[in-house]
Amino acid sequence: MKEMPQTVFVVDDDDAVRNSLRMLLKSAGVPSDAFASAQEFLSTYEVSHPGCLVLDVRMPGMSGLEMQHELNLRGATIPVIFITGHGDIPMAVEAMQHGAFDFLQKPFRDQELLDRVQRALIRDTEYRARLRHTDKIRERLASLSPREREVLDLVTQGKANKMVAGDLGVSQRTVEIHRAHVMQKMEAGSLAELVRMMMTVAP
Amino acid sequence: MTAPTPDVLALLAATLDAVVIMDDRGRIVAFNASAEEMFGYRSIDALGRNVSMLMTSSDRAGHDDHLRRYLAGGEARVLGKGRDVHVRHRDGSEFSVFLSVGLIPNTDPPMFVGYLHDTSLRRKALATLEKERQVNRLYLDLAQVMLVATDRAGIVQLVNQRAIRVLKKGDAAIVGCNWIDCCVSPEDHAAARNAFRALLMSGSDEPQISEYHVRPAEGEDRFVTWRGVSLRDSNNVATGIMLSGEDITDQRRAESEAHKALERMNSVSRLATMGEMAAGISHELNQPLAAIANYAQACVRLLRMPAADIPEVSGALEQIAGQALRAGEIIRRIRSLVRNEDVRRESQDINELIREVHGLLASDARVHDGRLALDLSFPLPRVTVDGVQIQQVLMNLVHNAFEAQGQEHDGAPFEVRIATRPTETGDVEVSVSDFGPGLAGEVEQKIFEPFFTTKATGTGLGLAISRSIIKAHEARLGYRANQPRGACFYFVLPAHQESGI
Repeated sequence: MKEMPQTVFVVDDDDAVRNSLRMLLKSAGVPSDAFASAQEFLSTYEVSHPGCLVLDVRMPGMSGLEMQHELNLRGATIPVIFITGHGDIPMAVEAMQHGAFDFLQKPFRDQELLDRVQRALIRDTEYRARLRHTDKIRERLASLSPREREVLDLVTQGKANKMVAGDLGVSQRTVEIHRAHVMQKMEAGSLAELVRMMMTVAP
Repeated sequence: MTAPTPDVLALLAATLDAVVIMDDRGRIVAFNASAEEMFGYRSIDALGRNVSMLMTSSDRAGHDDHLRRYLAGGEARVLGKGRDVHVRHRDGSEFSVFLSVGLIPNTDPPMFVGYLHDTSLRRKALATLEKERQVNRLYLDLAQVMLVATDRAGIVQLVNQRAIRVLKKGDAAIVGCNWIDCCVSPEDHAAARNAFRALLMSGSDEPQISEYHVRPAEGEDRFVTWRGVSLRDSNNVATGIMLSGEDITDQRRAESEAHKALERMNSVSRLATMGEMAAGISHELNQPLAAIANYAQACVRLLRMPAADIPEVSGALEQIAGQALRAGEIIRRIRSLVRNEDVRRESQDINELIREVHGLLASDARVHDGRLALDLSFPLPRVTVDGVQIQQVLMNLVHNAFEAQGQEHDGAPFEVRIATRPTETGDVEVSVSDFGPGLAGEVEQKIFEPFFTTKATGTGLGLAISRSIIKAHEARLGYRANQPRGACFYFVLPAHQESGI
């Protein structure tokens, strides 16, 4: 499946600030979309849409912090850059504690914003790639037979084939066959890789 | 035993007193309806039984002997004499009656008639009356108000306990004395006399309210609200007055404290507005400033491109101009806000204004580990100012001074000093000085500019607003280096001109 293009979502109630931000992003060649309120953004946003958010912390109606909370509830992983005014530092700190990616105090230099946006987009890409990776591992795990799953659990605990055979009450030869199937289905080149995969999806 | 004849019985039945007739051996031969009611026995149950059953145990024992002695020619101890005796009801309760006993003439063997008059009712009535009197007295004494009655000459006839407690004098030291001379504070004699006279003259039943101080035998005067009514005889001639008074000294004191506290709070909240206003302003100004910065930076980027999109750039420039005007509008609004603020310019004692904010400033000093010293000249001419605005400026200057101390002071508490002194021209100089690092040359140049700040969290508006307030008072907020070191902000307020001079 081809990736959707990344978008910088700007949410700010102040028309001038919002439009100038879009223009700044456009002049830097960054695709963006803008919303005048948190509600407007939330009503159209799909969590699968990659990108990052540039969010005014202080807005009438739903504030930036409340919107961040709502996104967390929806399981959205999109990085959030907060734009704060003078004296909004305590709010920014709270936002950071709730997983904001970064914050910027306005007015700011264009490069400060563009650098943060760039880092946020990279973070989003990495995170989504990791998500896809773990999804794949889960799919492969689901394709194992119950006996293969037992063999995998014992093998990744560091047990030799002989011990696994003893634990399961089957011949060592049978274990070897199951183990070969496990490596093949999990697309693991080595035991070390298999262990890494299991750690990735560990609850 | 001879039963009474029917006409006698009819007579007995009609008698309200209890009548009991007995024979020579003490046996009851007649027991009328009133006796039935008094003792709880029915006549048929009483007849034939010994009369001693109606007596208390102490009387009962000797009764038969007395009777025998009398019949044997002894003296008549009871006959013909009325006396109070205790008797016994069927239910065992004892009560007193007035008993008179007579020998019924021409009877042989002799018979005796006893009339029993229930005195306990009368006693009860008397006791009730006494109790009522006591209760009334108790009401008077329990009353949370002072009660005083005087005759028409003002001589006290009655006071209750509450009045005695408030006045700290005994009953005897008040009753019989002239109320006003004896108990009212001398300063309030005229007021009390007027109220007294007005009460006697008024024909109305409506209580009249007056307020004056009374002077207790010891301690301070008490302030009392009085409700008075005149007492009148059947010809509607005033015979005296009755006053009920509530000691409102403590209440008045609490009210005035509450009032003062409220006033303090009001001025504190007015004082707080400078900081809040500055925060609001800075947020509002940030919006157009942020937009201007964004547009301008976008323009720079667009113009650096090989084929610059000129319409786009010119659109952004228009936006910049618009946002700059928006910022200007905000600043204009602030200025008019500062100008139009409810200015209450009055003749004030500047030292008093300083002492009023001293408490607030001292707590600011404690927060900063510092000390606030006052160096106030006395006497000073009065100044015509809006006290709250001048206090705002002082708070701002003192707060700045504590913030400016930095970490450089070596252990000793950082001192900020507010000083007042008369100038050679007869005006009043107020200064706020510290012994901190003072201002560097380039900072000194910019210190009064709006939005210039050396503080991490400063708005850069405090000094600018302070200066505009002082300017509105036809004075100037200035800076000079403090001797031997530190910063000194000062302003000179013109002395108050009496109108007509």
